[in-house]
Amino acid sequence: MKKILTIAKWEYIEKLKTKAFIISLIITPLIIIGFSILPTLLSNKEELRTKAIGVVDPSGEYFNQLNSELKKYTIDNGQPNYILLNLTTGGKTIDELKSEADKKVLENKIEGYLLIKYGSTDSMSIEYRSENFGSFRDLGRFEEKINKIRIDNELLKKGIDPEVASVIQNNIELQQIKIEKSGKEGKQDFLVVFFSAFIFILLLMMMVIYSGQLLVRSLIEEKSNRLIEILISSCSPEELLTGKILGLSALGLTQIIIWSFIGISLVGGAVIPPEAFENILPMLVYFILGFLFYTTIFVGIGSIVNTEQEAQQMTTYISLILVMPIVIAVSAIQNPDTMIVKVFSYIPLTIPSIMLLRFKVAPVPVSDIIITLAILILSILITLKIAAKIFRIGILSYGKRPTINELISWTREK
Amino acid sequence: MIEVQNLVKEFQHTFAVDDISFSVKSGTIFGLLGPNGAGKTTTIRTVLNIIKPTSGKVLFNGEPIKKDFLNKIGYLPEERGLYKKSKVIDVIVYFAQLKNMSRTQAISEADTWLNRLNIKQYRNNKLEELSKGNQQKIQFITAVIHNPDLMIFDEPFAGFDPINQQEIRELIFSFISAGKIIILSTHQMETAEKLCSEIFLINKGKKVTSGNLARIKREFGGNHVEIKFNGNASFLSSMNEVVKLDTYNNYAEIELKDEVEPSVFLKQIIDKIELTHFSVIEPTLNSIFINLIEQN
Repeated sequence: MKKILTIAKWEYIEKLKTKAFIISLIITPLIIIGFSILPTLLSNKEELRTKAIGVVDPSGEYFNQLNSELKKYTIDNGQPNYILLNLTTGGKTIDELKSEADKKVLENKIEGYLLIKYGSTDSMSIEYRSENFGSFRDLGRFEEKINKIRIDNELLKKGIDPEVASVIQNNIELQQIKIEKSGKEGKQDFLVVFFSAFIFILLLMMMVIYSGQLLVRSLIEEKSNRLIEILISSCSPEELLTGKILGLSALGLTQIIIWSFIGISLVGGAVIPPEAFENILPMLVYFILGFLFYTTIFVGIGSIVNTEQEAQQMTTYISLILVMPIVIAVSAIQNPDTMIVKVFSYIPLTIPSIMLLRFKVAPVPVSDIIITLAILILSILITLKIAAKIFRIGILSYGKRPTINELISWTREK
Repeated sequence: MIEVQNLVKEFQHTFAVDDISFSVKSGTIFGLLGPNGAGKTTTIRTVLNIIKPTSGKVLFNGEPIKKDFLNKIGYLPEERGLYKKSKVIDVIVYFAQLKNMSRTQAISEADTWLNRLNIKQYRNNKLEELSKGNQQKIQFITAVIHNPDLMIFDEPFAGFDPINQQEIRELIFSFISAGKIIILSTHQMETAEKLCSEIFLINKGKKVTSGNLARIKREFGGNHVEIKFNGNASFLSSMNEVVKLDTYNNYAEIELKDEVEPSVFLKQIIDKIELTHFSVIEPTLNSIFINLIEQN
């Protein structure tokens, strides 16, 4: 036990001091924050402008109403967000109007314009023509308002009371409420659930890939300079492996914790919804066990490969298995009791991510927690035993990668 | 005492080590000699418990080896390498702790050793900043810092300059006086000749010969004398006692029949020629080695 701690401490501290670790610790969050903040900064700035929008509407039905509807949108200083210009002049064909308006756009006199074709007929269509893609928010507003005006007008023509018309136009949104044991009600949004589970699975995967590669790299290094021989003549392979796994897990955890602190303090609840932190304790257990399980598998791999390229290939495949549950995530969220979800929650490789997902979706029965934890812990212990055996022989076989049959015969050796 | 009994190690239908037995007592240097690929390293790895033998036993002081045996051995592998990016003192202390030393004890022993090998100025440097020779010294320290009962050195002098070789040699002799068991694996025969009292010659996994070095020299060395003289030495070739003769200007190397004592032979020739020098040639281990391997 003492030697395990010595090894764990060595792996942790020596890796912590490396330049690569310090750089990744700082650079990665910077990049992520950069990516998440920049677009917001850019789009916010855009909102501060008043935009001149042209309207080409030969039917003449929409301009006035649209103008008064869009006046409701203002920017911070009270100025209107949009100024509409009527570009429809009588006596010209729609093609002439279009080419004139296009010219105005290219000369930057207007931001863009709405081309309303066959306005008063059933085959009406609208185009927003501009030099650059308009913002989603602008286009959404235009579309919504034009549709509203069209339906209002149609209903009016059919002689329907404007009050009835407004009832018809009034959509009611369906809200989903998640009932929990504690009697608490929670607002359940598919996307929030999906992403808060997704964040944990993604974090788990990042940590597995990062620490797994550290582990494999350190094994390959020790293998290539035969340091491994000194280590194995000082402690048992199990001690060496357990020490390494613990040390590098602590390292991965340190990294995640620091990143989370940076993330939460800078971005706050805006990116990570507070719902993500429900059931955090049991999730943490699955997170850590899942991490240990994958790392143990990586050790087995690290001891049979000789170069980093080989290692990278194999670690990528294994990490993919970890993300596989994302594929069934949609059905898992909609119906956590389906067969496929149950099956995946008993397969050791997918237990961690499926359980992370299930905790987000619905209360998980205690029996399921006990069974999955038992499977996971047992798998870790068995894998550790097998990995140690493969490790013991693999570390001394240089050159050719062993075949599956050789591997099986290694694990049988006493 | 360490005993190796009927050791066999099979790798995919080839025998790397085939039925090897030997024992090494405290206070002796045991030379494990053989050409490259003879099975020296496999034998050592089995003794060190790095690999498990296909069959055979290793006993330490008469008992099968247990887990704490690992704390009593020091190993200097042939291929050297340490954590290059780490500090000298940290690396030494890490390996000492893996041999069950306490941290404080490890630090003070590390400083003693750095001082003894004249490299204490590099204590806080990274290993990669040290010269190759000094890195080897650090590796040597990690092998012996915990004062092990059994020391296994695989080609200990490779990579050292003559001055450092002398330093290491003296250290190894001091371990002998301290009653350690030392196994030295090498293919440099001169080194073995100077250091070892017992040798084991191995080739293709099998024992070629083993035992006391002086006895082996007598047994396999043949019976050679050399003379320097003035005058005509052609009569030597017709003597019955002579098997083979190499004559140069005033010098000859003579191989005598096994039963002929050199001193008797000297009496026979002393009146026939003006001798300026007469001596018995000790065969080098190197020539014995080459002869034996070629015979095999």
